[in-house]
Amino acid sequence: MSSSATRQNHLVQIFLRFGFLIVFAVFFVLFAVWNPVFLQGGNLLNIVEGSAILLIMALGLTLIVATGGIDLSIGIALDFGAAFAVVAMSSYGLDWFSAACAGIIGGSLVGLFNALLVVGLRISPFLATLSTFFIGSSVQRIFTNGGGPISYRRMPEEFRNLALGDVLGVPTEAVIATVLALIYFLVLERSIWGRQIHAIGMQRSAAIVAGIRVNRILILCFVCAAMTCAVGGLIAAANIRMFTPLSGFSYLLDAIAAVFIGAALHPRGRPNVLGTVAGVLFLGMIANGLNLMGLNFNTKDALQGIILVSALALAVAQRRARSS
Amino acid sequence: MQADVRGGPRLSEIVGFLPLVIFVGVLVYISLNAPNFVTVRNLELVLMQSLPVVLVCVGLAAVVMAGGDDVVSGGIDLSIPATAVLSAGITAQMLSLDYSLLSCALAALLACLVVGVINALLVTRVGMTPLLTTLAMFVAVVGVNNVITSSRRINVDHPWIIALRGTEIGSIPLGIILVAAIVIIGYFAMHHTRWGLNLQAAGGSKDAAEISGIGVNLLISHSFVVAALTGYVCGFFLLARGSGSSPGVQDNLMLEMVLATFLGAAFSPRRVVTMWGAVLGAVLVAAISIGFKSMGVNVFWTGLIKGSLIVVVVAFSAISQRVR
Repeated sequence: MSSSATRQNHLVQIFLRFGFLIVFAVFFVLFAVWNPVFLQGGNLLNIVEGSAILLIMALGLTLIVATGGIDLSIGIALDFGAAFAVVAMSSYGLDWFSAACAGIIGGSLVGLFNALLVVGLRISPFLATLSTFFIGSSVQRIFTNGGGPISYRRMPEEFRNLALGDVLGVPTEAVIATVLALIYFLVLERSIWGRQIHAIGMQRSAAIVAGIRVNRILILCFVCAAMTCAVGGLIAAANIRMFTPLSGFSYLLDAIAAVFIGAALHPRGRPNVLGTVAGVLFLGMIANGLNLMGLNFNTKDALQGIILVSALALAVAQRRARSS
Repeated sequence: MQADVRGGPRLSEIVGFLPLVIFVGVLVYISLNAPNFVTVRNLELVLMQSLPVVLVCVGLAAVVMAGGDDVVSGGIDLSIPATAVLSAGITAQMLSLDYSLLSCALAALLACLVVGVINALLVTRVGMTPLLTTLAMFVAVVGVNNVITSSRRINVDHPWIIALRGTEIGSIPLGIILVAAIVIIGYFAMHHTRWGLNLQAAGGSKDAAEISGIGVNLLISHSFVVAALTGYVCGFFLLARGSGSSPGVQDNLMLEMVLATFLGAAFSPRRVVTMWGAVLGAVLVAAISIGFKSMGVNVFWTGLIKGSLIVVVVAFSAISQRVR
């Protein structure tokens, strides 16, 4: 009696320990059995390619969450990146590279504004970036006279290739996202700056006492995160040859989910780059798999939401089981 | 020396009132420029407009008071607007299928309670942070609601629901009376019952509350169920305000709810989220939106104005805390 109880307990422990991996695998097999197309190389590449912008946004967010904050304005940084690049090409006739730089600089403005509010005025990141979201959305509405897209059909081939080209057969956007993920991994998990960022996020007062220049690092983090999201904006603009106002918002919830799934997978519950990548791929796989099941759009959306809640719950439960 | 001691609090008191002063100043400016703003008819309109936000703010205030007011790690319930939309969606859909209003209301109540209980379980049992839990639940509940309503608009003309908007009792609209009653009940429950005081103690310091024998997790669970109930009631006011259920209401409601509740914190003397502060915040935000509209300010600018207001008000409240 008691031995069966302990064995049952043991099974629960095993499930909790590897729960997220098991769920990942179960869904993978389920989708593969349901529709063999899921497993084809082309489709797996589709998942990676379709997740590129989300991964880029989630990387930027990982940086901010690692400092102990949150950034609700990452979508605005994406919009600004796209808008500055498209306008630079269409109205000022800049070449593709200068336009890309203009986009990234445009995005950095959002980060600077956040840094001004959070570091300069000491507003909590949640409220500061929420107001950046309000202000940034409004600026886009005013600039576009109510939210109409700005299209630029004669976009240079090189710029379009940011989304549509490939490097040795791998889609450019996937390459850009992978390179950014690698840079983020090296900086955040393998460098002294990363240690300092995590130190600020875990215990800010201790970080100050230890002599870390907290304000300078926070400013840099906000600006870097916004510039990263602006790169996502460049890809989005190149993909559809236009700037669509307020389109960045749609990535926000998924990016937050990916970062926190990633954090829950970490032994100490810290946001981390590898976890974020896993979170993004999980969300991408679910979206792709449900699409291939040919479900009605609304049903697919609802299932995705329910899976999201369950996956997060499992990831958190798993972390607690591991740490106890 | 003594003058310094006495001068300190006085200065902080003055700075502390600034957020409210700024708001009142903006309202005075509006009433000088929009001739019809200060009329009974218009003030009634402002109150009617703010009712759904007031209701969800009462729920959010309860959750924040029970969980502590750190936005990222403390108590927050972003899923209330989704619950409200779910309540409206279920009721509208069932009414259109000719069910009686009573059975619609019961079905919606059951669904909303399920949302509240799931939130409570995920936060207290699984140990997820409320921000993450309720954000994910927001996505899932909106998804489920879109399946129920097929993401389309459903008109509702049931006399009882329209009565929330149209009927007047002694020249005061019924809706205002009902919401005022709910706010007063909420206030009494939070501030004048043992349960409410325990709830506040739990939010003030979880450890201290637990040591003194308060069942913190149970109270946090209660707060999520209360929040779901305010969302449930809010659903009917959404139906009344829009003459039916329409998709997409939840996004704006969420932003306004967060804006109003945390602005309310800036109005309170101790800078904490309170029931009155949240209600005042909701009414003032509605007053300013309607005020600028009646002044003929372009709608595209309202986001900019709202965003700047958060910055100004929250920055002043941060400064006043530093002065103190």
